[in-house]
Amino acid sequence: MSELRVIFAIARSDFSYFFRTKWLMAVLLSLSLSDMLVVALVYKRIMSIDYFKYFVPASIIMGLFAASMDVGRRIWLALREGVIQYELSLPVSTKGLVAAYLIAGGAAALVYASALMAIAFLVLPAHAIWSAIVLLPFLFVLAIGLAGIAATLAAIASTHGEFFFAFQNIVQTLLLVLSTVYYPVNVIQAYLPQPLALAATYNPLSLASEALRNYTFDGLPVELGLLGNILLTSVFLAVIGAVSYYWALHRFQVKGKI
Amino acid sequence: MFAVETEKLTKRYGKTFALKNLDFTIDDNEIMVLLGPNGSGKTTLLLILATVLKATSGSAKVMGMDVSSQSTRVRKILGIAFQEARGFWRHKPADILRFHAKVCGVPKAEREERITNILKNLELWKGRNKLFMHLSGGQAKRQEVAKLFVQRPKFAIFDEPTSQVDLRGKRQIWEQILKLRDEGSTLLVATNEVREAEYLADRVTVLNSGTRVVCDTVRRLKDSIAGGDVVELELDATDIGGLLDTLGQIEGTVKIADAGSNKLKAHVSMAESWVPRMTELCYENKARILSVRVTEPSLDDVFLHFAGRGLSDES
Repeated sequence: MSELRVIFAIARSDFSYFFRTKWLMAVLLSLSLSDMLVVALVYKRIMSIDYFKYFVPASIIMGLFAASMDVGRRIWLALREGVIQYELSLPVSTKGLVAAYLIAGGAAALVYASALMAIAFLVLPAHAIWSAIVLLPFLFVLAIGLAGIAATLAAIASTHGEFFFAFQNIVQTLLLVLSTVYYPVNVIQAYLPQPLALAATYNPLSLASEALRNYTFDGLPVELGLLGNILLTSVFLAVIGAVSYYWALHRFQVKGKI
Repeated sequence: MFAVETEKLTKRYGKTFALKNLDFTIDDNEIMVLLGPNGSGKTTLLLILATVLKATSGSAKVMGMDVSSQSTRVRKILGIAFQEARGFWRHKPADILRFHAKVCGVPKAEREERITNILKNLELWKGRNKLFMHLSGGQAKRQEVAKLFVQRPKFAIFDEPTSQVDLRGKRQIWEQILKLRDEGSTLLVATNEVREAEYLADRVTVLNSGTRVVCDTVRRLKDSIAGGDVVELELDATDIGGLLDTLGQIEGTVKIADAGSNKLKAHVSMAESWVPRMTELCYENKARILSVRVTEPSLDDVFLHFAGRGLSDES
């Protein structure tokens, strides 16, 4: 079996594990659906702006974020349960193993976010579907980048019990507060110093939610510049994550623990 | 060329040496049993050979490939069953075996048949759709070794393959391990169960504190203990004292004593050659032999002899 086939087989196994965890699915779906169908629709009726169009893209990106970060939980479990030793004995390079996890994280997040998008399409015009299809590959790269971050957190937290969840919450808070996922950029500029506002603008989560709002929900024409920015910032995250996780595995092989 | 060869292999965790300058070889198509107490370095050696851990210094080769610089190639020909079963809680035994078979390149046409046979053979068929987290310790262990029986790797590593498994299950696993050898695999089995070592081993390597104490066939290891075999004789004779002196002259006699009631107890090096000579001498001295009982040393005695402590003693 070629290296690539083994990578995809491992990725597929991890991908299916995400959807097997029924309690997690129930929590994620109930949160996402209540945001989309309750909060957004109710607020739309009591606010002057179309809050549904603003908030649902945020929910979808949040869903993508949460699902891609879950790969960190699975890696943390693999380290804790010793499954990582088994995986290091499989006929795949250590780099291939890292790639498999990131691909699985990206794919699981993309499927989850796509399901949320499909629900939103019940109330959106048909042309929005095409814009969403154009965005999917970029959202996939973004999810891989986020999975890389989650993998790094898992590796760091592996010897510290439940710290992974604390680390995950810290990163989640930072990435979401410093972004335009839930509020417009002028709000951030009004309350945060200029460097942080700039970071929020180029946060890949901000870029993705802006793209989703503009092209899918508002029907604006797709701009390559914004898509390029999503790609660049996401690849940056993915490289950091991949290198960190590879380093963690190497350290495990040398020290017998992370 | 050896199937497996290590040279001055050393693994250190901080200041503690798990392996210390270990030179070790396995011939092609043999079952090498690693015997040693807890903490003797068995698992560390297995994990290095399986490319899971990296050695601190020295080298290790599997089928001529370096486990450190050619780890991906080595992984293509090996399989390891870990001491503790490895699996995600929400996976099922049948799924785990399917995944393992697929990733390890078992031909698609053979996968289901092999998996079905092994699940039935190891009495896991009923539990094949249980979640891994719901398996008992023994079932999880069977599931762990089943991966290798489905895979049939060129080099198979088993770390305490029957710990937590009942007697019937042990026998089933041992038969499968022997079958793997008969089909051409080279096997390395780590255990601290003497009976398992005696049943499986073509050769035994005794490890103690990360170093090799001795390596040979079970037979030769036992024979190498001077006075290790114990022969108990019951005779129909009146002159036991005279016979004691005569039998004491047989080559390989370490100690012989009157055990009372016309019985003698002899500690000899090799009972196989001592007993026929003893029979001849008894015949010449007109002493009728009523019974002979030979007890050979166990591998625990072998370990005690070479390492200066028993297998069950904690380091």
